[in-house]
Amino acid sequence: MTDVELARKEGDGLLQAKVPGLSGSFSYEDTAYHLPISFALTGIAVHDRAAALDVYTKTGNNPIVATECLLAAHTASAGKEAEPYTGFISDTVIRKLGYSLVDGSILGLALLVGKPESGGSAAAVCRELQEKYMLTFLAGDVIPSLSGAGVKLGLDYRLIPLGSTPMYGIHFVDIVARVAMMFGGVTPGDTQRLITYAAERAKAIVIVFPGLSSEEIVFVDGMRVLGFPILSAGGYEGGTWISAEPDEIVRRGMEEKGIRVNVTAIPIPMGCSPAFEGKSIRKEEMYVEFGGGRSPAFELLRMQDTNDVVDGKVTVIGPEIDSMKEGSANPLGIIIDVAGKTMKKDYEPVLERRIHNFVNYGEGSWHVAQRDLVWVRLSKESVAKGVRIEHIGKLLASKFRMDFPALIDAVSVTLITDAAKVLEAKKEAELVYDERDARIKGMKDKDVNTYYSCTLCQTFAPNHVCVITPERPALCGAISWLDGRIAFEMSPSGANQPIEKGAAINVQNGEFEGVNRFVKKASHGEIDRCSLYSVMEFPMTCCGCFEAIALMLPEVNGIMVVNREYAGITPSGMTFSTLAGTIGGGAQTPGFAGISKNYVLSDRFLQGEDGIERLVWMPAALKEELKVRLEKKLADQGKAGFFEKIADENAATTIEDLTLFLERVQHPALAMKPLV
Amino acid sequence: MAYDLSFGWTGTIGDVTLGATKADGGTRSTSYRIGGGTTIPFLEETAPSPTPLIAFEICDNPVLWSPIIKDYCGDLVNNPAEWAKTATNDYKADLIRLHLTSTRARNFTDIGSVGTVVESVLSATGLPLIIEGSNEPKIDSEVFLKCGEAGQGERLLLGTAEAGRYRSIAAAALAFNHSIIAQSPIDINLAKQLNILLREIGVPRDHIVIDPYTGSLGYGFEYSYSAMERIRFSALKGDTDLAMPMICSAADTLTIKEVREADPASIGDVAVAWEFYTGIAAAAAGAEIICIRHPKTIGLLREAFADMKTHPDAAEVQ
Repeated sequence: MTDVELARKEGDGLLQAKVPGLSGSFSYEDTAYHLPISFALTGIAVHDRAAALDVYTKTGNNPIVATECLLAAHTASAGKEAEPYTGFISDTVIRKLGYSLVDGSILGLALLVGKPESGGSAAAVCRELQEKYMLTFLAGDVIPSLSGAGVKLGLDYRLIPLGSTPMYGIHFVDIVARVAMMFGGVTPGDTQRLITYAAERAKAIVIVFPGLSSEEIVFVDGMRVLGFPILSAGGYEGGTWISAEPDEIVRRGMEEKGIRVNVTAIPIPMGCSPAFEGKSIRKEEMYVEFGGGRSPAFELLRMQDTNDVVDGKVTVIGPEIDSMKEGSANPLGIIIDVAGKTMKKDYEPVLERRIHNFVNYGEGSWHVAQRDLVWVRLSKESVAKGVRIEHIGKLLASKFRMDFPALIDAVSVTLITDAAKVLEAKKEAELVYDERDARIKGMKDKDVNTYYSCTLCQTFAPNHVCVITPERPALCGAISWLDGRIAFEMSPSGANQPIEKGAAINVQNGEFEGVNRFVKKASHGEIDRCSLYSVMEFPMTCCGCFEAIALMLPEVNGIMVVNREYAGITPSGMTFSTLAGTIGGGAQTPGFAGISKNYVLSDRFLQGEDGIERLVWMPAALKEELKVRLEKKLADQGKAGFFEKIADENAATTIEDLTLFLERVQHPALAMKPLV
Repeated sequence: MAYDLSFGWTGTIGDVTLGATKADGGTRSTSYRIGGGTTIPFLEETAPSPTPLIAFEICDNPVLWSPIIKDYCGDLVNNPAEWAKTATNDYKADLIRLHLTSTRARNFTDIGSVGTVVESVLSATGLPLIIEGSNEPKIDSEVFLKCGEAGQGERLLLGTAEAGRYRSIAAAALAFNHSIIAQSPIDINLAKQLNILLREIGVPRDHIVIDPYTGSLGYGFEYSYSAMERIRFSALKGDTDLAMPMICSAADTLTIKEVREADPASIGDVAVAWEFYTGIAAAAAGAEIICIRHPKTIGLLREAFADMKTHPDAAEVQ
């Protein structure tokens, strides 16, 4: 065992003694960057002893600078090494290499140094690096060791033998320095930018086999400054090198540096594309179905520890499709385990909702609803082509990895089709759902300073801006405040942006300086003011996807709500679709507001109009949908009995009938202060 | 009636340089700097606008090229270099836009030929070049690398980056200092998103030209116009992620019903008319580069631009 700390000190001393002994002039051909590392760090073109000493002092006796100068001087006097060693690599090659890195055809760079215990284990490491689209550089004993094991070397194999000793690994660093200057806009001499670029952009890892001398150790260790993880395959202790077994060293290093392999094709016997998302599988076309009230089913996405998730693993517990009867309903549990360095527990429900999209991407798979209400179908056609339950798992595992590369490092999917086990797992899932609901339930608008915008609909309603607060979900009902926050974290330049609400202008109406400022900008100057809780004054704009419309009925001094599903005429004299056509498209229409159905249950609903007692009419189906929750809420507020005073289409479909009804039940709105 | 033409805009459209002359390390006889606008073009009360540039489109495999153009240009369509030379000397285009249609053949593998075509066109014309690479993700990497290399130093405009497919083209722009066309499907938000993605990968703003996607007049151009108008307004209001010049290519004009079904005797004129009016509309919407395929459209556009309150000498960099 070599102690890295001790060796580092010793090596540093040795280098410091050697640098002053430099002599002669030294430079590389085919480069505009002189000694690239020294040049990038200090802007000084080193070609002789004096300049080298200058740079060495200026960089605080940096061991990488020492190694670069010493090796350049050595190469100048001893000449280039013979084939297969490449030595210094020219700018032209680097330009192409940089292209592949930006382009993504190379995912990252790896340096292998030292003397592997066996050629076989080093060969396995190289094979894994090749499979993962890494470009690997080799220096020192690892090269003969690999050749001995029959491994082919060269640029075509993405394995580049730099030189006969580990010191030639310096060319790995000078490549990164040149890529930073060529592609990263790093100006020579801007040390800080170089280090930031290397640490954040250069996807480079270093794997060290045993047998390095102390000078080599201090040089390799010096690369930590550039943010390259140094992984030891054994033989070293102390210091901050990461020890790993050869069979997991590549994965470990890539994970450490955040290098992710992209999945490009999903290995399932059916097409998979957003193009199929809108299809439906009708009963006649269906081979089997799951859930939808016909059999128990649920879906759950959970975050797990990285070590507990085997990426891409799909497990089916219970019978496969072959033993299911055509046309039958079967139990199904979909459990997705994800792990990732930047993954958070809060993201679970947002990601879980994507199961819906992904399953629908399958040419022959169909999905509706969520949680323990899911309903999944597989088509006859796809089953005939060989689609099995397992493939739904593969599809999900691949799509999650593909669509959330920054968030998720590993995904495994478990599909349960065994009835007893589904029921058992479903119970656990329900506990998780309850926990999640509790998280947003207690949140109040006044408790947070940041709301979230949603401008997804600007594609067709150019000036529409949704402002989402804990107590007011987006008007489409699909995005809560938490979802907005998470969406922003996952995609900081996306359609959900944070809004600092700022000072209150009108507390009752929910008008805030910060919100106004944001809305003005995001509506391209069209909307100056926006009150979050008012239908009458500066209501929020409407896109076109609102679940329901709240609108004032001046004749009865109240507000009615009509949801999208209600096709009949309302007391306003208009149907939902006529109303929607009048107020949509991103306009602000006082007296009208697009809302989500659940917003009716919010304490902020109609706050600007003096509260829920303004509510005079709702379609019966919507009343039914909200009944349990709304009655409980009203009872808690001491307004028991109010629910019955809200009219529906059975009580009135004209303003005249509505007036009579409201008078009969002594609706409180009639006595409230005039709306207009 | 007099209109108030002071809009209180604060933004400026960024400059993009097309082509490099000897002084800048290239071999072009002309280079252009486009952009720089501070208001919408052709307004009566404001300073003259730069004349939009006219790019003549050619290809290296005319199998799917419009028969109207093949009839008019004759054998030239089989020789991209000669075609480019004629477009320069006889048709008097400002730019040549080369579509590498050969790469669209099934299982195309002859990447080397891409470099040869680009080089032959570069030596046949002194005009700056726009190059449209493959549209098959599998070969993008190699094709754009080859284009970038072959045109090194010439400050090409490479096309076309899209939201799901921009890495290779961005890499070529970065590695060989070219500019790129960023296309979004008639959608201001996607246009902006793509520009942000390109910025994050390291492509500087002054290397991006927006293609809002252009349909033919009467076949979706209204949508393009509206998207362009909004992109430009946002840019002038200060959104730097949209403050780039725009390029429009309404190639669909040659295949619309009115042209397809036109009297064979006058089909060329009908095609030119549609291309011309779509081009004029795109210029009015603010496009800095108008791409066309029929040589006769070039003269008509020039004449029209001359009457439309423009600088006489376009955006040319002396």
